[in-house]
Amino acid sequence: MATYGGWTGKTLRVNLTTGKITAEDTFKKYKDYLGGTGLAYKVLWDEVPIGTRAHDEANKIIFGVGPLAGTGAPCNSRTAVTTIWPCGYPDIYVATGHFGGHWAAELKYAGWDSVIIEGKAPHPVWLCIEDDKVEIRDARRLWGNGIYRTTAEINAEMGPEAQVAAIGQAGENLVANSAIITGYSHSGGGSVMGSKNLKAIGVRGTGSVKIAADKKEWKKLIQYALTLAGSNNQHVVPAEPQPWAEYYDPGSRWTGGIGVFWGAANPPLETGACDPHDMQSLGLRCQKGIKDFGREFGEKHTVRMGGCHACPIRCHAQMDYPPLEEKYGYSRYAANTCLGWSAGSSVFMSFSGPDRLIKQSEAKLLGKHLNDDYGIWDNYGLMEKMFQYAYEKGILKRILPEAEYKSIPWDLYESGDPAFLLDFYRRIAYREGVLGKGLGDPADKTIEEWGFAEDFFKKTKWKYWKMGHPYHHSTEDSAQIGALINMQYNRDSQNHSHTNLQNSGLPIEVVKRICAKVFGSPDAIDAKGKWTPMNKYKAKAAKWASIRKELHDSLSLCNWMYPWVTSPLKERNYEGDTALEAKYFSLATGIKMTEEELDLVAERIFNLHRCLTILEMNTRDMRNKHDIAPDWVFEDGGEPFTPGSNRLTREDIELAKDLFYQECGWTREGLPTRATLERLGLGYAADRLEKAGLLG
Amino acid sequence: MREEQKTPAANIAEFFGVNRPTSRRGFLKLSAATAVAIYGANILAGSGAKAANGMYILENAKGVLVSDPTRCVGCRRCELACTEYNDGKASPTVSRIKVARNLNYGPQGVQFGFQRGEGKYGNFLVIQDMCKQCPHPVPCATACPNDAIEVKGPVNARVVNTEKCVGCKVCQRACPWDMMCFDEEIGKATKCTLCDGHPQCVEVCPTGSLRFVPWRDLTKENRTRQPGMLMFNDGCKGCH
Ligand code: SF4
Ligand code: SF4
Ligand code: SF4
Repeated sequence: MATYGGWTGKTLRVNLTTGKITAEDTFKKYKDYLGGTGLAYKVLWDEVPIGTRAHDEANKIIFGVGPLAGTGAPCNSRTAVTTIWPCGYPDIYVATGHFGGHWAAELKYAGWDSVIIEGKAPHPVWLCIEDDKVEIRDARRLWGNGIYRTTAEINAEMGPEAQVAAIGQAGENLVANSAIITGYSHSGGGSVMGSKNLKAIGVRGTGSVKIAADKKEWKKLIQYALTLAGSNNQHVVPAEPQPWAEYYDPGSRWTGGIGVFWGAANPPLETGACDPHDMQSLGLRCQKGIKDFGREFGEKHTVRMGGCHACPIRCHAQMDYPPLEEKYGYSRYAANTCLGWSAGSSVFMSFSGPDRLIKQSEAKLLGKHLNDDYGIWDNYGLMEKMFQYAYEKGILKRILPEAEYKSIPWDLYESGDPAFLLDFYRRIAYREGVLGKGLGDPADKTIEEWGFAEDFFKKTKWKYWKMGHPYHHSTEDSAQIGALINMQYNRDSQNHSHTNLQNSGLPIEVVKRICAKVFGSPDAIDAKGKWTPMNKYKAKAAKWASIRKELHDSLSLCNWMYPWVTSPLKERNYEGDTALEAKYFSLATGIKMTEEELDLVAERIFNLHRCLTILEMNTRDMRNKHDIAPDWVFEDGGEPFTPGSNRLTREDIELAKDLFYQECGWTREGLPTRATLERLGLGYAADRLEKAGLLG
Repeated sequence: MREEQKTPAANIAEFFGVNRPTSRRGFLKLSAATAVAIYGANILAGSGAKAANGMYILENAKGVLVSDPTRCVGCRRCELACTEYNDGKASPTVSRIKVARNLNYGPQGVQFGFQRGEGKYGNFLVIQDMCKQCPHPVPCATACPNDAIEVKGPVNARVVNTEKCVGCKVCQRACPWDMMCFDEEIGKATKCTLCDGHPQCVEVCPTGSLRFVPWRDLTKENRTRQPGMLMFNDGCKGCH
């Protein structure tokens, strides 16, 4: 076995049907795919028949971790969970969810690069990984429990340091919109674990991840890299003016500042100026509680920030709110970020009255507990939108049996009482009735069964993008670039490469100057809300953003932070360093790669995903069958290309596809050509596509 | 919940006793300002002496690590710096500063009512554990049958001499705070060296939660993690 740093060299394969546990040579089989999603796509490509459905025994679920997980490369402990995704309709398409926390790092310390789960256990089990000792253990006593209890039970068995990824009742009950959770970090795909009778994976590692390079050189790189870090989503200017800052942007997630506190810390802690040269306030610059709950409530109830292994940025707000216990019987302590909070509050149409902000915050906190314990995933917010729509249009009244309709505490709903959620999420977790089943099922199935009208797809506010998934940093964020990125995947896009750049907070002239260097022209980016027609540099940026996402998911770097095109440093003219990933990779593994070389590997991974999707779709017309944007993109909002309007034209998006396909080396139908696939070392994929009549 | 501020002197006194707080009141007092004041106070080490039978009474250390758990965000960059910058590998097990073991549930570990306990699954408090650089009789050094734990300048840290260490792990059982580490890959014990006066963990902490301060005796005030196994044959008389 060749030795490199970064990787452990062993990939774990567990067959739950036969109970067979094997160690595979990571390098021999997967080195060209790095790890994470790259490794997982290869496994699905080689081993899972096209047409396999998410809950079939033949489906596999891969907990993909890469060479940088567990190292000190900033922000690295994300696990890519790849499988035939249960929320598709039909549920036959590949997709990936991502959980952070400390699980990926722990897996590496245990000596494993990734975990491939196949088959189906005869009864509920959990997987116990203690270094090289791997066991399938009985989980019948855990089945039926929520994630909180399950995690603690497994920790009691393995020790408090073990990292546990578990499903709750939702995953057990095969709710498609269900989560796998470690710490309070989420991935979707819970029901795939449930379908395999796999309750949890506990990991404890006492080994190490080697750094191939000299330790001084590694330290120098990490120190340098940290000077370029921004706040969450690589926002590089503060939200409020600070003495050191040339610019500020109220939209920035760099919310720490003079007079801004972790108010529930004891004693309250002032985050302070957070000068980017002060490496000891790096972890204070993202006061996420303020972003997620508003200044007053957020500041008052924030205990501290938490987050993933090796990440100094900390995007998880850890809140202390005693009424949670008093009013709802849930722990007063709650931690999460972004959608993990807003899920609960966005179930409601609105909150009214003088205490509306309190009600809204309580809905967030209570919703977090319910979702994180039942293990419900809200489909990036689409679940709540569907509920609101069905309520507003009177669909629920029409389709729910009368007894079921009456059993729902509508008075609580209408008065914006967070206690409504106790009933609401239970229905989903246990697939109770038409409502519970419908909201937990794949969105497109429910939309069809409940008979949503065309107008659902014509308004931005309902969030629907395509294939049963909502938009995720799409046209509202980056116009055509966002649109192209949202077309690529079989779920919401989970890509942040573009939004991190678009919303850095720097003045547009500065960003354009930097983009000219990176993409060859300042036209690669527009000022937000002042969108201009498509051009080829935007296509370059969209392709770059797409392949970098795969790179991050395969190396185990956080795409919610990387890539770092910009930095907070005035003395660098705010330039970041897009070669950081290659630098970490080279020093950690000992395989020297330039930025371009590593991007080529990323492009290989991106194209393998594309090829898989083409086989699954079984169409040559990817352009019109898969790469689609919803009607609202063209119909909702002011005149296209006027300030403040996010509306685009159909011709412009068609041009965007043409230019993007050209950049990718795909045909006008959106099919990779043999030349492209061979250039990427995917000749075998070209052969299979050709056989199926699907090669470009 | 919030208590009134005390004088800086009271703060300093209280702070020194509360690396691993014995009471909630203790660590709540620390702020960046008091930590700086402590640093300036420069309380220096005592002297060393050699017992008649030749056994060294180890000279006091000149510095020690202290922490303010209120600021700790559980990123574990300190553990990474400790091992990546000293050993060229990432390994929380080898790390001489311990965060991971308290991260999920606090020093008490998993127990009923964990949601009211400490750590990520409780009230979020993350306690960092560091070596106290104990005064004589230094439990780990005293226990070592090979005299492999020695004082090393410039800051007089208690350091494992890997030439002498035979990997018997007796020291691990001796440290009441469970701060002796073992590197299975080289078969040797290891412990905090204070990085020869440039603690890497302190340098990298992104919230300023760790401080390197002039030494003082933290052994009396800190909750222990295990009954330390002191290897005296005959009380102090065995040596003196
Ligand atoms: S006994 Fe423990 S705390 Fe004291 S010097 Fe030795 S390792 Fe450090
Ligand atoms: S001072 Fe050095 S050896 Fe001691 S814990 Fe910190 S990094 Fe590790
Ligand atoms: S580096 Fe600082 S904030 Fe991070 S775990 Fe260590 S002590 Fe806590």
